Amino acid sequence: MTSALHLVAAAAAAGEVTTGEKAVFFILAPIALIGAIGMVAARNAVHSALWLVLTMLSLGVFYIVQAGPFIGMVQIIVYTGAIMMLFLFVLMLVGRDASDAVIETLRGQQAWAIVLGVGFAGLLGTGLARVVGSLKVVGLEQANADGNVQGIAALLFTKYVWVFEISSALLITAAVGAMILAHVDRSLRDGTAVMSQPERMRARFEPGSYPGPKPGPGVFATSTSIATPAKLPDGTPAQRSISPILPTRELTAAEVANKQTEGR
Amino acid sequence: MKDISLPHLNYAALAPMLILFGVACVGVLVDAFAPRKARYPIQLVVALVGLIAAFVAVVLRAGKVTAENAITAAGAVSVDKPALFLQGTLIVLGAVALLLIGERALERGGPFVAQAAITVGSDADQRQAARESGATEVFPLTIFSLSGMLLFVAANDLLTMFVALEVFSLPLYLLCALARRRRLISQEAALKYFLLGAYASAFFLFGLALLYGFAGGITFAKINESAQNGTGNITLLYAGLALVSIGLLFKAAAVPFHVWTPDVYQGAPTPVTSLMAACTKVAAFGGLLRVLYAGFDRVHWDYSPIIAAIAVLTMLVGSILAVTQTDIKRLLAYSSIANAGYLLVGVLGNSALGLSSVMFYLVAYGFTVIAAFAVITLVRDADGEATHLSRWAGLGRRSPFYATVFTVILLSFAGIPLTSGFTSKFAVFSAAGGGDQSWLVIVGVVSSMILAFPYLRVVVMMWLSEPGEQTPSVSLPGMLTSAALVIGVVITIFVGVAPQPLLHLTSEAANFIR
Repeated sequence: MTSALHLVAAAAAAGEVTTGEKAVFFILAPIALIGAIGMVAARNAVHSALWLVLTMLSLGVFYIVQAGPFIGMVQIIVYTGAIMMLFLFVLMLVGRDASDAVIETLRGQQAWAIVLGVGFAGLLGTGLARVVGSLKVVGLEQANADGNVQGIAALLFTKYVWVFEISSALLITAAVGAMILAHVDRSLRDGTAVMSQPERMRARFEPGSYPGPKPGPGVFATSTSIATPAKLPDGTPAQRSISPILPTRELTAAEVANKQTEGR
Repeated sequence: MKDISLPHLNYAALAPMLILFGVACVGVLVDAFAPRKARYPIQLVVALVGLIAAFVAVVLRAGKVTAENAITAAGAVSVDKPALFLQGTLIVLGAVALLLIGERALERGGPFVAQAAITVGSDADQRQAARESGATEVFPLTIFSLSGMLLFVAANDLLTMFVALEVFSLPLYLLCALARRRRLISQEAALKYFLLGAYASAFFLFGLALLYGFAGGITFAKINESAQNGTGNITLLYAGLALVSIGLLFKAAAVPFHVWTPDVYQGAPTPVTSLMAACTKVAAFGGLLRVLYAGFDRVHWDYSPIIAAIAVLTMLVGSILAVTQTDIKRLLAYSSIANAGYLLVGVLGNSALGLSSVMFYLVAYGFTVIAAFAVITLVRDADGEATHLSRWAGLGRRSPFYATVFTVILLSFAGIPLTSGFTSKFAVFSAAGGGDQSWLVIVGVVSSMILAFPYLRVVVMMWLSEPGEQTPSVSLPGMLTSAALVIGVVITIFVGVAPQPLLHLTSEAANFIR
């Protein structure tokens, strides 16, 4: 493994592309592209995530082929292994049937996006292709002199140590943010703060609350529908008798009228 | 294998950032362990004390900084005079915005929602809107954002700048989503800002990679050196600079990267809008100045026409669309876009004068815009802030004092003499004139004439219309909002009447160290 890596590194340092590298590239590059397109085009979120996994795996192999074993393994273990799998878990938990509505709110937005996107990609792609062809690659051997991992460690803990430390702020922010946007305090969710027994007692008999059982729909009612409120003895509708999720129903005159059962 | 030793970290230079990071972490811990009732006062005091301490650290450092000791952390950070000036500005503006964020007298529980995760419109949401006090996580998030901004204006290489960009953006995305009233547009604003911001960051990162290909390094010194020697591929330089600039101009809200601005300014809680309008502008232009002046000084003839075109577009689009707005927050958003255009004009001065005039403009605009949003938080009815312009008609009759204050602010935005708006516009336009960009100055003056129209229309509406049934009352501000308002207005007038001290300070500070 190491000797193979050294060979790859030496070839890359000399600016040559070996046959093996070419073969790997031409097999995996279309796969990576198909994965990327599939990720955008897939309707189902789980399929999208799996397409992305494909792209990431291909990228990981590219990194390794280009003499960056550390970044390649990190790509596979952390991105593909950990992050994407977490992503899938969350999708499964939330429910994968929630497909998004594809409604264009801006007229012609998709067409324009495709035209401009392809144009931009073409511009950047051709520009870079011209440049990179004539570019001389230097410094890979020095960078990998003590080994790839050691080289990265040296950069991380000398030149970029401040940035490395600062990125912890990013992680804290992300954790706090996830908590703010996802966590609901129990007391608010259930609508009951944690109360002691006397407090609960007092709340139960406070003016405005109704300690007795709620009237069921249909008691003194004029209709059998559960959306029809019960009538209180004075004839007014009892709103508490219907479930809050039901829309208030307009009653017809016939339903409002008393059914002449009071006994004349 | 070679030894790895920690590079020299100049803790005096890094102190402001370290203090703010520490304070933010303390804030997170307070939220975790303090009892619910005690959190708000503790958070407010901790945040304000932290900002004061950081400001003291900046001032102490400003006395000792030289060209030799400015660069630290193995060349990753350059705490030079412009950086210190901008850091000081950020801290003061951030503190004033924090006063608005901490205000709880205007509305029960403050301007932030208690539990952002509760579904909008549900029973639990109505319960929490009525009685719960707002989330206190906003304080550490604000401080995290400010500390990222401090690093952003002091970054000496593009990678540090990128991480700083993320550190200051991420909390802002979150803060946008936490409005107590009209939560749906608040969440929409946050999502829009987040998606577009992530997109802009990706452009920045791509440009960074290309510039690494050009120079073989990402420090500004290295890029400048390669550009000077003509080594490296010029196409990579242009492509890289273009992509990095897109990332920065997005944050600065320049046309055509401005589309997020009105929606986000309108949807975000007003105190957060004030933080974004003042501090994000300072950070974005601080970063842009450093990239263009310290990194790409040698190619300024190449990028000037493009930045100039963007500046013209920004000024015209911002001012013309401001005329058509019917919501005061959207109006100020478009005005903020137009102001980004004026700042770009100053950037094109491309000299010490350009640098100092932009810094002057940032200070002047920052305080005025915070005061403007402070007034907006006060004009409210039973449903929260009344931001539709028609509701402001006749406000002058109902509460003359606040209408006067807002008139002064709008006149400053319009650039009337004896306000900071006039002196700062004068400064950037004269810097651009000095840099042979006279045609830009002409466009700038024309666009500020267009922009004066919507401002003056609001003034006329406030004073010359009869108050109707719809005219909301102006709430009595709490101590914090009063303080923010007083600071904003006093500095607006002071910088307008006596700009010398600030001009002196900015021209003293105008020299980047790579």
